[in-house]
Amino acid sequence: MPRDEEAETQVLTGLDFTSHSGTLPITVPRPSAPPDGAVRKTVRTFGELLVTAGIVVLLFVVYEVYVTDWVSAGKQREASAELDDRWSNGRHVRTEPIEGKAFARIYIPSFGADYTFTIQEGVDAATLEIGPGHYKDTALPGEPGNFAVAGHRVGKGAPFNDLDLLNSCDAIVIETADRFFVYRVLPMKEETGSWEGDQGRESQCVNVPTLRDPSVADGGPYGATFGRVIVTPDRRDAVAPVPYQSGDALPAASRASLLTLTTCHPKFSARLRMIIHAVLTKEFQKEPGAGYGDLLRRIGEA
Amino acid sequence: MYAWIWRHLPGPVTARVAIAALLVTGVIALLMLWIFPWLEPMLPFNEVAVDDG
Repeated sequence: MPRDEEAETQVLTGLDFTSHSGTLPITVPRPSAPPDGAVRKTVRTFGELLVTAGIVVLLFVVYEVYVTDWVSAGKQREASAELDDRWSNGRHVRTEPIEGKAFARIYIPSFGADYTFTIQEGVDAATLEIGPGHYKDTALPGEPGNFAVAGHRVGKGAPFNDLDLLNSCDAIVIETADRFFVYRVLPMKEETGSWEGDQGRESQCVNVPTLRDPSVADGGPYGATFGRVIVTPDRRDAVAPVPYQSGDALPAASRASLLTLTTCHPKFSARLRMIIHAVLTKEFQKEPGAGYGDLLRRIGEA
Repeated sequence: MYAWIWRHLPGPVTARVAIAALLVTGVIALLMLWIFPWLEPMLPFNEVAVDDG
């Protein structure tokens, strides 16, 4: 508060008249009292620091949810261009994926025709910043076993933001150098009971079995493999060749070809993981000039 | 704190406003470009993989 204003306030409140010489004072600036005491100053500074801390936390949310999106979008563009480059160079030999590099694309038609991300090899933080990452020791696209992919649900492009919206029989398309693989989400836990009866109802559910063995009480090796499963973060066996079973549960030849997507759950939390299991239903050799749009028409999703 | 900074900014009010805006922008840039990227890996928000660990 400026000096003269303060003096005026004092006159108006009528304090201190006795200390004057008798003539009515116009202004009486108090000579030495500091404007604010030490306690007042400390309290105010403390308050300002708290407000500042609150703003910094809000800025961090903005960073986490928006800024990382822009950064990742740039990296995703780069990876996608590089992948196109490699594929168009005519090297159609199937090579092992290189760590941190894109080797496939994922499309989810029910998230819109423009939903696509490159899949990189590995699930470390730097790789997942580019886009979804492939668990290194799991199967490759189309192979029997479990092609497992992790992706962010919040920030960093949030490729797996909407995994909770996937329904059974929704298509998940994986594109490699020479093929398209069409996986479809397995029946949800509550649907498995009546699945065989309902299955013919929708054309997209053709070839989507429950994988459960009806002759066994717990459903056999795939008894716990549903379309969507919520697990604790330590369930590494969610991406095992036969999910939730030890490595040698089934001989390699009789394993189903699965696709597994993992992301965090609930949204904005790291407490649990959401797991989506899908099964390979169709496989197409890529034809020159025919892209994802043509594939969508062929599988009836366009 | 902020009053103290304001009092120590030079020039007329318009200049002070400009300098203050510049300072705020600088602090936000510092947070977004260096501090948050450094801090983020230490926080558990972005764990999406299943692991034995």
